Amino acid sequence: MERLFINYFETGAIILFGVGFATLLLHNNLIKKIIGMNIMDTAIFLFFIAKGYIPGREAPIIQDVHKGAAGYINPVPSALMLTGIVVAVSITAFALALTIKLHEKYGTIELDQIMEMRGD
Amino acid sequence: MISLAMAKSFPLLILLILLISAFIMPLVKNNRVVKGISLGTMMMAAVLSVITMIYVVKNGSFVYRIGHWDAPWGIEFYISPMEAAIGVLFTWVAGLILWYSLYSLEKEIPSEKLPFYYLLVNVLIGALLGIVYSNDIFNCFVFVEISTLASCGIVVIKDKKENIKAALKYLILSCLGSGLFLMGIAFLYSITGNLNMTFIYKEVAAAQYVYPNVILISVVLFTIGLGVKSAMFPLHTWLPDAHSSAPSVSSALLSSLVLKGFVILLIKILFRALGFTLVKELPILDLILILGSLGMIMGSVFAILQKEIKRVIAYSSVAQVGYIFFGIGLASELGVAVALYHVFGHAVTKAMLFLTVGAMIETTGKKKIEDFKGIGKEMPITLGLFTLGALSMVGIPILPGFVSKWNLALASISAGKPILVAIILISSILNALYYFPVVIHGFFGEENLKDRVYKSKQKPVKEMLPVICLSVAVLFVGLISEPLIQLFSLGLK
Repeated sequence: MERLFINYFETGAIILFGVGFATLLLHNNLIKKIIGMNIMDTAIFLFFIAKGYIPGREAPIIQDVHKGAAGYINPVPSALMLTGIVVAVSITAFALALTIKLHEKYGTIELDQIMEMRGD
Repeated sequence: MISLAMAKSFPLLILLILLISAFIMPLVKNNRVVKGISLGTMMMAAVLSVITMIYVVKNGSFVYRIGHWDAPWGIEFYISPMEAAIGVLFTWVAGLILWYSLYSLEKEIPSEKLPFYYLLVNVLIGALLGIVYSNDIFNCFVFVEISTLASCGIVVIKDKKENIKAALKYLILSCLGSGLFLMGIAFLYSITGNLNMTFIYKEVAAAQYVYPNVILISVVLFTIGLGVKSAMFPLHTWLPDAHSSAPSVSSALLSSLVLKGFVILLIKILFRALGFTLVKELPILDLILILGSLGMIMGSVFAILQKEIKRVIAYSSVAQVGYIFFGIGLASELGVAVALYHVFGHAVTKAMLFLTVGAMIETTGKKKIEDFKGIGKEMPITLGLFTLGALSMVGIPILPGFVSKWNLALASISAGKPILVAIILISSILNALYYFPVVIHGFFGEENLKDRVYKSKQKPVKEMLPVICLSVAVLFVGLISEPLIQLFSLGLK
């Protein structure tokens, strides 16, 4: 239990991940599903960045003087998550575009109603 | 030799050719030119991959540093005989499918969308080859996402109701999968501090005693995340919709290549990044074995219940991917090598099945199995090729399906689990139950053949030539099974 409080970043990230996962799986509304997907992705970003964070050190941007490797946090997770954000944004955009198309064809974005219209 | 030494940079060159040429296509107005660019670049990639393969077989595996940055900082391509062979498979099968698409694609999608379609195909194959070649897990993740988006694109391009629904379902489940996969990377990175698979392998040996649970969690996340994308049994629900509603060229690409890219990534992570000895001790391989066996049986059972022929073949893919996971789950070198061989055999066979069925649907305009009774008289060559594919799926000797089933049975006996042979047998019988009726009703039966005119609906041989090439490839893959399996078991070390 104590470990969960010490690593509160990771705990928070996993809780957020669960929230996003449940939203993605359990909701019928497509927009809510996409929001859930985004929450899930954000949770992963938080988790990853927390892994690279070292308390008391600065962001790895050199201003005036270079303080040596000991002065900065680990820049790799931040750089990776920058790519991750780009990927997540493009997937969100694509999913939203598909949702608009789906609404044009079916007139609804509730997945259970769409599944019922299977016959035609 | 000068030319062979250059082969080291060919994997990157293949990716660059495919990805750069993709984005030229929408700028070209003439569809014939677009088709030329698409086929030309794929053929160039195919030739380059063959040269890479020859180089690797002669000189052994090599590492290519992109931008000449050394390993833990830069991204590497690691080309062993396994990767080179898979690269050859992907480019050649994609090339043949593209050749077939020259004649048939315009009948299925609007002609103004044709450049975008070929764009997506080139991006897709480029990304899949990236997954296969790259030695950096995060780089693989980016390629996985690119290929997911591109494969959704080639499903949705038909712009029909059911396509959009299927693509959205596919996209949402894939996002779930890639979320889990990225979380797996995060866990693995947190204990090893590396993203390069070679370095992870070195670090994880020390970390496994300190953080056994973290390794287990990350392996489960990898397996489920990639399992969703490669249609591991209970997670396959997106596959039948997406594969059956897409244009038949897309179905062939999706079923024969896209699923396999993710399976190969899983194999690479399990056996290259974590290593045989470590993974064997984890319960994950038993889970993969059970899910694979379930998939082999349930996929076939679902296929029997279907009425539309493309859905039957789509469910058959679930069963065949089950065989691959079965081979991985056996936890022996032979098992994994046969799983990789099955990737090969299934890719050529399933591409052929989808293309022949596509030709049947195109000329008759019907989709249901019962409408194809007596079609053997109208389209003898097409149904003949379908029969060859069906025989391979069921497991008739010499054909690849038989070779992988036989070796899987041998591997499961030597792994001390002879009961699994029964599962292979049951699955083969079930395969026969849904493939043979199509063939038998197609060729035989008095009332079926009445009023049918011989060769009346046959497509010109010129248009069927790519499929005939695929059938030669099926026979070829069946004949060279021994050296291929040996190659794969070497490549894993």
